[in-house]
Amino acid sequence: MRDAPDAAVVARVLGGDPEAFGVLIHRYEPELLRFAYRMLGRPDAAADAVADAFIRAYRHLAGCRDPAHLRPWLYRIVSNRCKSQLARRQRDEIPLEEAPPLADPADSDADLDRAEQLEQVEAALARLAPEQREAFVLRHVQGLSYAEMVAATGVVATTLRMRVHRAREALLAALKEFA
Amino acid sequence: MTPLDPRIHQALEGEVSRDALPPELRQEVEALERAVGQLRAAPPLPSVAARVLSEIRRPRPSPARRVGRWLAAPLALTLQVRPVWTLAVVAILAAVLLTGREPGPVLGAEEGIADFVGRFPGARSVEVVGSFNDWRPGATVLRDDNHDGVWRAALVLPSGQHQYMFVVDGERWVTDPLAGRYVDDGYGSQNAVLIVRPERGGGRR
Repeated sequence: MRDAPDAAVVARVLGGDPEAFGVLIHRYEPELLRFAYRMLGRPDAAADAVADAFIRAYRHLAGCRDPAHLRPWLYRIVSNRCKSQLARRQRDEIPLEEAPPLADPADSDADLDRAEQLEQVEAALARLAPEQREAFVLRHVQGLSYAEMVAATGVVATTLRMRVHRAREALLAALKEFA
Repeated sequence: MTPLDPRIHQALEGEVSRDALPPELRQEVEALERAVGQLRAAPPLPSVAARVLSEIRRPRPSPARRVGRWLAAPLALTLQVRPVWTLAVVAILAAVLLTGREPGPVLGAEEGIADFVGRFPGARSVEVVGSFNDWRPGATVLRDDNHDGVWRAALVLPSGQHQYMFVVDGERWVTDPLAGRYVDDGYGSQNAVLIVRPERGGGRR
């Protein structure tokens, strides 16, 4: 079952074997958690969004029109959960106390540099508008094609390309500002 | 925000080789690729599998019971209103009650009205997409009420600079020839630029 294609696993779940849904969780959890973490900036928020998304996906599995291409459908649900969380927040920044800690001062200079660069990149990402952040993360961090991004977001490809372009510009500008 | 050289986007999309770029553009590509590499390496994140499976295994209440719970659950509504909007609402009500006339739109201190006008005889639909509606087709539709081929829409926008294009019949993106100011859109075309000035004293132009 672990190596069965998505459509077969979905059919098994809908046929009355809810435990089979665990196969899909293990298959997609790592990338969905990384996506949610890059959208929300907090591990606990990312876990909540992804858990909520999987539960919704299970309950609406019969409504998935193309079980053979489950990935964009799952991304869509997680993306909507992330947007709901972001809409409830006052500011879309990683709070400093929750930002990944810098390396221990006893670490090498190279480790300190890497930790500082990561902090700058994450701060730059957090400054992007949510739609641009989503497009950039889906395209570059998660490696989705534009066709998959259209299926995951419901937005036309030209608009997604525009958002990715604007995100690149904004990210570079922010990185130059932090440097 | 300064648009990037289109070759940077092409290199990041794999459409041209990074090595074919001049050194200053290659540096920008490399800076973004380094950032992406760092973002791909997320810290260890706790698995949600046990939590999800536990919820899936829990027997769900019947639909009737779920509806009953939803109806019985108290709903907290939070309404945040800025004092300036409260005064605006009071002013509108006073205008309606005292004059009997329908007032014009009430604008914020830093808002103005943007008039979009385009001549597209024979078009079935015309929309305007831009930085103010996230370039989303379908968000803002123009109207040609007297069917003379001149399409119009008026929007309340924050004061400042906005970029836009017209989308004709849902597929043809057209730069407004009457805009007067333009910027390169990075796709080999140009976005029109609109400057919205705050309306002092409110009301339509």
